[in-house]
Amino acid sequence: MLEILRKTIKAGCQTTKYPAVPDIAPEGFRGKPEISDKCTFCGDCIKVCPPGVIWFTEKSGEKTLSLSYCGCIFCGRCEEACGYGAIKLTQEYELASKTKEDLITSIRSKL
Amino acid sequence: MTVEDEIEIMGQRLNDKIRNIFGRSLHIREVDAGSCNACEVEVNALSNPIYDIERFGLHIVASPRHADMLLVTGPVTRNMELALLKTYNATPSPKLVAAMGSCACNGGIFGDTYASCGGVDKIIPVDVYIPGCPPRPQAVIFGLMVALDKLEQKIRKKEV
Repeated sequence: MLEILRKTIKAGCQTTKYPAVPDIAPEGFRGKPEISDKCTFCGDCIKVCPPGVIWFTEKSGEKTLSLSYCGCIFCGRCEEACGYGAIKLTQEYELASKTKEDLITSIRSKL
Repeated sequence: MTVEDEIEIMGQRLNDKIRNIFGRSLHIREVDAGSCNACEVEVNALSNPIYDIERFGLHIVASPRHADMLLVTGPVTRNMELALLKTYNATPSPKLVAAMGSCACNGGIFGDTYASCGGVDKIIPVDVYIPGCPPRPQAVIFGLMVALDKLEQKIRKKEV
């Protein structure tokens, strides 16, 4: 009994303060992928994406590269494959959303 | 103000929100619709001393008849399609459905094949999508908070 009490006091409170205090993911955590302006629309990331959630559309000369977090498995293959460093995986993980449209990020080419 | 005070206020606010909507706490039923079990491990972690969602009045229950919310994981395999539909019908209204993990959102790595339906939203209406493979427990807590806002809107719509 005393032993258990001693252990409990020694361990203290382990519960995270998450919703009140922001919890930053550890270094190297693979979270939300982001596409930057460096993108050249070569399509290397589309070829390597295992679930196939990166796609390319062309409408009247304007190229668009879109990525949906809905279905993304956060493997980081796109980051590895990109020769220009345009796709980077950030440490952000708070992605929950009410619609699928909110979960799509895209980059357009400048005309 | 210390950190403890802030948590108290935050918890109180969430409790008030739940009480206003349901008149009690929110009960969650977890449905495994063909998941690889990584998401289940994260759901287990939600009720351990580190994340402890019971402090917000969120409980994981053993029957859909006790539940207000379904937390569905997995891409919905052909064998689980009917079971998921039955579970949805057994849950009393107003109900919420949360698709947890990339598979439940869009089929994920399993895709849309002969054996999987490719997403929960093809079978039942989904209220909140929680992407991640698997999502961190913190991401799930965030998703549940997003879902609670949605339910408030649902009830108001009915009243109007």
